Amino acid sequence: MKEMMTLKGGWNVKYNYAVGPTGTRFFKALKGEAKIIAPKCPKCGLVMLPPRSFCERCFVPIDEWVEVGMEGTIQAFTVVPVKFESLPDPPYAIAYVLLDGAGTAMVNFVKNVDLSDLRKAAKKLAIGKRVRVVFEKKRKGTIHDFHYELLKP
Amino acid sequence: MSDKVAILGVGMTKIDSAKKDQKLDDMVFEAASKALAQASLDREEIDSVVIAACDELDGRCISSMLLAMPAGAYLKDEIKVTDDGSYGVILAAMRLMTGLFDLSLVVSWCKTSEAPLSDVMSMRWDPFYHRGIGMNHITAAALMAGAYAERHGISSDIPAKVVVKNRRNGSRNLNAHLRTPVTMGEVRLSPRVSWPLRALDCAPESDGACALILASPRRAKKLKRDAVRLAGFGWAADSYYLGERMLWDSPSLRIAAGKAYGMAKIKEPVAEIDAAEISDFTSYHELLAYEGLGFCGSGQAQDLIREGITAREGGLPVNPSGGLLCSNPFTAAGLFRICEAFLQVAGKAGDHQIRGATKALAQGSAGFCAQGNAVFVLTQ
Amino acid sequence: MQAAMAALDDAGMTMEDIEAVVYSMAPSEFLGVNEPDRWCVDAVGGRGRPFMRIHTGGATGISAAHAGFYHVASGLFDSVLVVGADKVRECRDSQQVLNTIWDPLFERQFGLTTITMAAFQAVRHMQIYGTREERMALVAVRSRGNALNNPVAHLKGRITVDDVMASPYLCWPIKKYDTCPSSAGGAAVVIVSEEKARKRCTRPAWIKACSEVANTVFLGDQMGGMAQMDFADSDILAMAAEEAYRQAGIRNPRREIQTAELYAPFTICELSMVEALGFCRKGESGRLNEEGFFSMDGGIAVNPSGGTLCANAIAITALARVCDGALQVMGKAPSGMQVRNVRHAVCTGEGGSFQFHAVMILGDDD
Repeated sequence: MKEMMTLKGGWNVKYNYAVGPTGTRFFKALKGEAKIIAPKCPKCGLVMLPPRSFCERCFVPIDEWVEVGMEGTIQAFTVVPVKFESLPDPPYAIAYVLLDGAGTAMVNFVKNVDLSDLRKAAKKLAIGKRVRVVFEKKRKGTIHDFHYELLKP
Repeated sequence: MSDKVAILGVGMTKIDSAKKDQKLDDMVFEAASKALAQASLDREEIDSVVIAACDELDGRCISSMLLAMPAGAYLKDEIKVTDDGSYGVILAAMRLMTGLFDLSLVVSWCKTSEAPLSDVMSMRWDPFYHRGIGMNHITAAALMAGAYAERHGISSDIPAKVVVKNRRNGSRNLNAHLRTPVTMGEVRLSPRVSWPLRALDCAPESDGACALILASPRRAKKLKRDAVRLAGFGWAADSYYLGERMLWDSPSLRIAAGKAYGMAKIKEPVAEIDAAEISDFTSYHELLAYEGLGFCGSGQAQDLIREGITAREGGLPVNPSGGLLCSNPFTAAGLFRICEAFLQVAGKAGDHQIRGATKALAQGSAGFCAQGNAVFVLTQ
Repeated sequence: MQAAMAALDDAGMTMEDIEAVVYSMAPSEFLGVNEPDRWCVDAVGGRGRPFMRIHTGGATGISAAHAGFYHVASGLFDSVLVVGADKVRECRDSQQVLNTIWDPLFERQFGLTTITMAAFQAVRHMQIYGTREERMALVAVRSRGNALNNPVAHLKGRITVDDVMASPYLCWPIKKYDTCPSSAGGAAVVIVSEEKARKRCTRPAWIKACSEVANTVFLGDQMGGMAQMDFADSDILAMAAEEAYRQAGIRNPRREIQTAELYAPFTICELSMVEALGFCRKGESGRLNEEGFFSMDGGIAVNPSGGTLCANAIAITALARVCDGALQVMGKAPSGMQVRNVRHAVCTGEGGSFQFHAVMILGDDD
């Protein structure tokens, strides 16, 4: 047979993700106080972002929290110049940033970089570059309540 | 018994309708931590982890990415099965029997409150011939229930009695999701969800996570004589196409039970087994399982119910925990069965303990109309 | 079913000889069917037999082969069929699906995909070891060239470093030709006990080692700060390999391994992986690759099949690595693809956020 048939279909499944006490506390601090707080492992001292309710390494629950700094260092980055279905409109830059006082890096958009020339943008975003946290004026209690900006764009 | 894998401890979260107070990984961490605590082990001592879960219900397309860590797998040898929580024990036991590992965590979970079970189940049907005609897990179960009732002339009182029995059992189990007993009248008056099933014939949708720790035969040799051993296990699958199956019978369960009994040297299950925890996704599933597990001949499950043999006080109590009809954390349900069977044999089942139980059976199932079945025999 | 039949045929067996089936199936969202393993039970002879599905993301195929090995090595079975199939292109954009592997609360929102993940590894490898984009490109050039000898590869051909460099950026510094395709395909292996193998096969591929190691999902835990490893390096693969080498009695991988079939869906992954496998020191892989050490006639022939860069039907890609590794040991690889005098072949799988690494070592008679 030359002409084979295809059938159209799709997933239509909606989820309700429970945020849990740890995430709720993190997002409330983001929204209400414009602060980034992180849980700290009572055993190894790891300050972890994104926040978790337990230490993956020591396997103990965590109830201590610390506030981390509003500046940090880029640990990895990329710039996406093409469109993927249902993903943000290009171009956009994202980076893992180790905020001062945190033990792990957390990803977010870097918004004050000219992305018209990829190579130039990549140079500006290099590993080791300093960024600061910028909070949105209207915060909703999601990870989009803040983004990063280069200190020296 | 020294060539057998041993079970050192289990951990279960409370089973509830919607655990909104816990993120999925919080729930998994709780179960794994509890199992380690019961076995008096540190995570560092574990050398392997087996996970059993369903991506589509977890709402993450490789859910073990997030959940391997709360399951205790950081820098450990970890592998995942999907069929049912109980399949995790199969894989872990085989891994331990190779001699490559000594201590394994098996972890399973499900938060049905976060995913619309019916939508996901309808996606399980093939897109060409089945999907789109309103089939989900309940309608499939109804086809099986109807076929069974028709074949053996089962009156609706019999499955209703299963519901009453299990709900009464569940009222003694502090961990169960539904803990209020129901009457025959309540079952009869509950709305039809898909003929012949009524709402109370069907398991609820629950959230829960559980974990269990297995020790290799090598390691188990050093344990006390009354340690709980996995004396036998077996599993098998039936056809996906319901039209090709005789829905009033469960060949895969017969095969699985035959293998498990052979390994555990069980000849007369009813006489030898002290308690059974089986996957009663509907009341009819429990009846079919009696036959597949060889508790009785074809069509005779109703006699076991009528005579009260499988009641708490009977010769072979089935689902003393209340079973799935009281708590149904879907994918994890089978591993919960094994955890409950462990509690019975270890004498740790509390208010729902069957006194003097030294041999217990657990059954897990996966797929429409229990397409896949796994059977486990636990002994002291 | 086609794959299952071909594997049985190659082993001179029929379904009657098979005692249990392991199904290799990664995320099901590409196919658009929940737990498609259930659907395929009949097509692969699962009916009436012990049947289970293994799913460890991209590592699934090797994990499934491991599971097949555990079936036999536990003493419970003599012959097991490990089989699977995938059609990644049945969804419109695989990266849309792969975005949902990330955590919905903290990470999914930033357009993370598997390609961004490769970009993060690449920028760190470039920063730490000075790896250049051209050296990554050369991995694609070699892979596509090797694939010319592989009749079942999806992408193949003679391309140049310039071609790769000229291909469009998807996520800086990853370009289109640095990435694997979305493929459809099936694969199967038959795993039998030693006794059965000696009876049935003059030169079987013996399973010498099975090992896998899991890491955290969070990439940010592996860069700076209190990181216990660096995301540039495939340290988890190094751990899995160390255990596998112990099981196989391999002391000097660079000398004792002749070929490797690696699950490297991006060029940078392969550079990082050959370092983790102990084929060279960290940061050296780009140069060695340029010198031809990983070519067909080099010290260790890496991905003679063309590897994942030339065909990625995710659910069975790592199983295809086992198939290709086994063919090398058995001396049955297609001409041109066959490496000479293979005594040990190492096969790998990688899943999740480069967090699950699985290693299987196949070898000839002791």
